[in-house]
Amino acid sequence: MLYRVIDAQELPALVRAFMESYEVVAPVKRGSGYVFRAVDDPADIALSYTMTDSSVKKYLLPPDEPLMRFDARTNLVEDFHEEVTPRVLFGLHACDINAINRLDLVFRDGAYPDPYYCARREATLVVGISCMPGDHCFCQLWGSDEVQFGYDLFFQDIGGKYLVSISSVTAANILESACNPREATDEDRIEFRHATRRRQAAFNPDIPRIEDVSMLMDAFHKDPFWDELGGRCLSCTACSAVCPTCYCFDITDELDPDGAHGVRKRVWDSCTNPSFATVAGGHNFRPTGRERVRHRMYHKLNGFMATHDRMLCVGCGRCVDACKANINPIEVLKFFEKKGLEDVE
Amino acid sequence: MSNNRYGASIDVPAWREQPRPATGAELMAQNAYRPWPARITSIKELTAHEKLFEFRLIDDRLRDAFHHEPGQFVEVSVFGVGEVPISITSSPTKQGFIELCIRRTGAVTEVLHEMQCGDIVGLRGPFGRGFPVDKMRGNDILVVAGGLGIAPVRSLINYIHDERADFGKVTIVYGSRTPSDIMFRDQFEMWRHRRDFDLHLTVDHPDDDWDGAVGVVTEPMKTLDINPRNTYGAVCGPPVMYRFVVAQMRRMGISYDRIYMSFERHMKCGMGKCGHCQIGHQYVCIDGPVFNYWEAKNIQGSI
Repeated sequence: MLYRVIDAQELPALVRAFMESYEVVAPVKRGSGYVFRAVDDPADIALSYTMTDSSVKKYLLPPDEPLMRFDARTNLVEDFHEEVTPRVLFGLHACDINAINRLDLVFRDGAYPDPYYCARREATLVVGISCMPGDHCFCQLWGSDEVQFGYDLFFQDIGGKYLVSISSVTAANILESACNPREATDEDRIEFRHATRRRQAAFNPDIPRIEDVSMLMDAFHKDPFWDELGGRCLSCTACSAVCPTCYCFDITDELDPDGAHGVRKRVWDSCTNPSFATVAGGHNFRPTGRERVRHRMYHKLNGFMATHDRMLCVGCGRCVDACKANINPIEVLKFFEKKGLEDVE
Repeated sequence: MSNNRYGASIDVPAWREQPRPATGAELMAQNAYRPWPARITSIKELTAHEKLFEFRLIDDRLRDAFHHEPGQFVEVSVFGVGEVPISITSSPTKQGFIELCIRRTGAVTEVLHEMQCGDIVGLRGPFGRGFPVDKMRGNDILVVAGGLGIAPVRSLINYIHDERADFGKVTIVYGSRTPSDIMFRDQFEMWRHRRDFDLHLTVDHPDDDWDGAVGVVTEPMKTLDINPRNTYGAVCGPPVMYRFVVAQMRRMGISYDRIYMSFERHMKCGMGKCGHCQIGHQYVCIDGPVFNYWEAKNIQGSI
């Protein structure tokens, strides 16, 4: 990996350089929180955010995405063309870049590369920035507090300066044209080490460290805990809407007003949606909150592990804020922390 | 998908625009979400609710590239209404045509049942993992199906029928709710008169003309004499059936990894992405729909 150092004041120039060729999406303040949206002015970017309300997955998997156009009278596909906006996702934390890497596994690297996702991913640059954890962050449990790949640039805040990891030629060229990147000194490297230690020490100690949660979930698949947790679920699907790695979708046809033509789309869906596992004829394979919530937690903390050797949860904590029924991975960790101890006390 | 300098574009051109010399396999790989036009070449009424459709892909390149295993499925599109996953019921030995047994049970199948020969639908696939016919070759086969579950295993039975010398003893147990729900009656008649197919039909609710067995499929299974070491089981039916049939096969001594079953789920994308068909950590659309019992036991929530 190539490392360079730039001054913090040079960042707006870099953003402006990106803006010449790309739409720049970055965290901005909205109400009491932060969101990712397209910005016109580098001054609008709020890089000191803890966590945004929703993730950047909407730029790779739009919530409502046309797949093709059709003629409903002939049942044939019609010409469809869409230009993909070249885009820089700017100011992502390590967890969100790790989340994109997981989406890549499903939509880009598998047996069926998804042409829509791949076109958007291809046209996207990812620029990350280091962060300090908030109360609901637990990325360090799954090792998502650091990111090894999947970005073009990553900025590590070392006090008025950034240590920049440069991993693509495109980004290196823009960085060199807009800023004055210089070789990292020993002081820079030591400050980087301190910053990493400060982050690692700042995680909320009340979140239990249960690193073998995958195995425990297999063993406790039938525990009454899931009835209790799932019984609280309101099926609002907010968890998967804010989750940076939830990618399930539905495919639907939408007719134009003339009824003759239309568009086939994919729209976000969620396994906590009550009819998600229903088949023709009405049989529902996950009929209650118990099965649905358990399935979602399993896919996040166990199932993806079994097929891809890593969690599908990056510990960003967004679902902790979004769920009105307090259903989230931290609750699962707390359950396993207490399980078996009630009898001893 | 082309690249401009920084961005990219998404193109789904109409079918007639597809440039030759692209091969059928290349066309399919460009965009696996895209259905290809297929014409209905035959419709046969099986019961009050099920029809047997025969389709032919219109583009010869796609027709040549379309190869399936017994147990695989396709996605059938009626544009403006939607898309449904349907298992292929014809044998791979029948090339150029694709048979689907379709129950009238939802918006898309409702429209399909109103269609006539010559009408065009969209087809994409085949998807999934079918029955392991190469492993099964040289062995005895015990097929147990209930209701519409006969559709995917009929592909296997017809394949065995066409390659009969490659397989040992073949036993078929098929259960229906009533005699009028029995599908492929004429085919069962044919199999019944062949000495190299051992056929057992049973119904839950007999009518006045029924002179066959009454009861669940596990009843005739109890009377069978099979060699468990040399037998592969193939199971498909309504969700409640699996546990009992598999338990009976285990009692007969068939090993976990020689019992194969096809699962029904709503496979919406067919490519291991949309999530609707997930059982535990597995996607029925790419890891299945056919699993052996050992695999199924290792998926939380499968049976």
